[in-house]
Amino acid sequence: MGSDNDLKGCLEGAKRLAELQKDPITRGDFLGFGLLGAITGAILTIPPVAFILSPVIKTDVLGESDISPDWFRVGHISEVPKEAPKDFQIEFPITQGYGDKKIQEESGVSETDYTVLNAVWISWRDHEPPSFVEGLQKGDSLSQSQIEEVGQKINVLSNSCAHLGCPVRWLVTEGEGEFLCPCHGGIYDINGAYIAGPPPRDMYSYTFEVREDGNVYVKHEFDVQPGIPGISTQEPYVI
Amino acid sequence: MIGRIRSQTSEASKFIVDWMEHRTGIVTMLEHFLFEPVPKRGAWIYTLGSAVLGLISLQFLTGILLLFYYVPTTTEAWNSVYYIMNEAYFGQLIRGIHYWSANFLMAAVGLHMAQVFFSGGYKAPRELNWLVGVVLLLLIVGLSFTGYLLRWDQDGFWASVVGIKIGSYSPFVGGYITHFLLGGDTIGPATLSRFFAIHVWLLPAAIAPFIGIHLYLLRRHGVFGSDFEYTERLSKLHEQQRLEEYDRYELDEDEYEGNGRDRE
Repeated sequence: MGSDNDLKGCLEGAKRLAELQKDPITRGDFLGFGLLGAITGAILTIPPVAFILSPVIKTDVLGESDISPDWFRVGHISEVPKEAPKDFQIEFPITQGYGDKKIQEESGVSETDYTVLNAVWISWRDHEPPSFVEGLQKGDSLSQSQIEEVGQKINVLSNSCAHLGCPVRWLVTEGEGEFLCPCHGGIYDINGAYIAGPPPRDMYSYTFEVREDGNVYVKHEFDVQPGIPGISTQEPYVI
Repeated sequence: MIGRIRSQTSEASKFIVDWMEHRTGIVTMLEHFLFEPVPKRGAWIYTLGSAVLGLISLQFLTGILLLFYYVPTTTEAWNSVYYIMNEAYFGQLIRGIHYWSANFLMAAVGLHMAQVFFSGGYKAPRELNWLVGVVLLLLIVGLSFTGYLLRWDQDGFWASVVGIKIGSYSPFVGGYITHFLLGGDTIGPATLSRFFAIHVWLLPAAIAPFIGIHLYLLRRHGVFGSDFEYTERLSKLHEQQRLEEYDRYELDEDEYEGNGRDRE
């Protein structure tokens, strides 16, 4: 009985198909309509979508950044104590939206400096500064070999937690102390290495330079391994 | 004297109502949209949807009022909220209603969903209304998320940073989502502008038609469908049992008569 019905259904389907094929629309017409539809659709959708997504296109496709790529002075290494990290604040100039410097100059209406405020934690690796640091005064300059030694023994960390970007702070309850994130309890040691909590990796460290004047300089750039987007990248989106 | 005034007023109002009904059909429409028999059992539970609708209306009204003073730029946003809270007459009240009804809205939405879920109100033929409701829920969550940043204080700022970075964990599109929400690669003027646009125009404009669909589907299938269906089914069952009882009784009678005939 079931197969009878199936057969009937098949026949009806074939009939309907034949009916459809009698449709007077030709192949040329069909392609023409398709082309016209595609062009109309593109004209209607591309401008608004590109308008809304222009920041995404600029950052992800063209690789532009809103944040100034310059080096910024953080502070003198003599300010960093042995036992705890020291925090410095840096305002990176940004050019975003109406805050674009060029636009502001051209309009002459507003001259606000738009910046993003980041905190930098500087600490000595495993609480062990180079021996010459102890006698150093603020403003003292360094020799080339000292610069190299400092470069190896210093941590220049972003205070933006590697989990969801809350500002971490240094906390000493027992032992040597640790970085604690107030939002979800991520914990890192003095080198920014992951200890506990939800963060997927160590704290981000800035691209830094120690210069002859004894100051640390940073760029808004972080230690990120390249990889496949969305799967193995460690893109920080440090804000 | 009073009786005459009363009868005149009632006639006048009747005339106005009839006039409107004749031209717009508004009375029939109101009857259709406003009145519905409610089961006695647990009637208060069925007011949750209306509570949500009321709170959303409050959001719209107070939101429009707040826009008279709020300025969506990084330099002025906090100051303008400060102005609303300290200088504008009843500013604290208007913003307080916007803030608190937003909080209560989330709670009311949760309760409303729980009520529909536990009473099985999502079942056929009302699955689509559940789906529309989920869309509304997502739109409301989006509104809460984008509204938080607009104050441009530490609280809203960091909550938004956390929210945006949650988006960065999405597979494949994490970076795009982050940069889309930020309007670049850092939080700044563009971020506030687009959160403002999304909060004040995009999502409210999207939520309005979905509320319309939600209410239309609600009226189409009724709030108490299952409840009345159940009572109806019960009464049908009782009716059927009663009829069966009669049948048996009548059968007995026939048999008795038949027996009687045999006996004759």
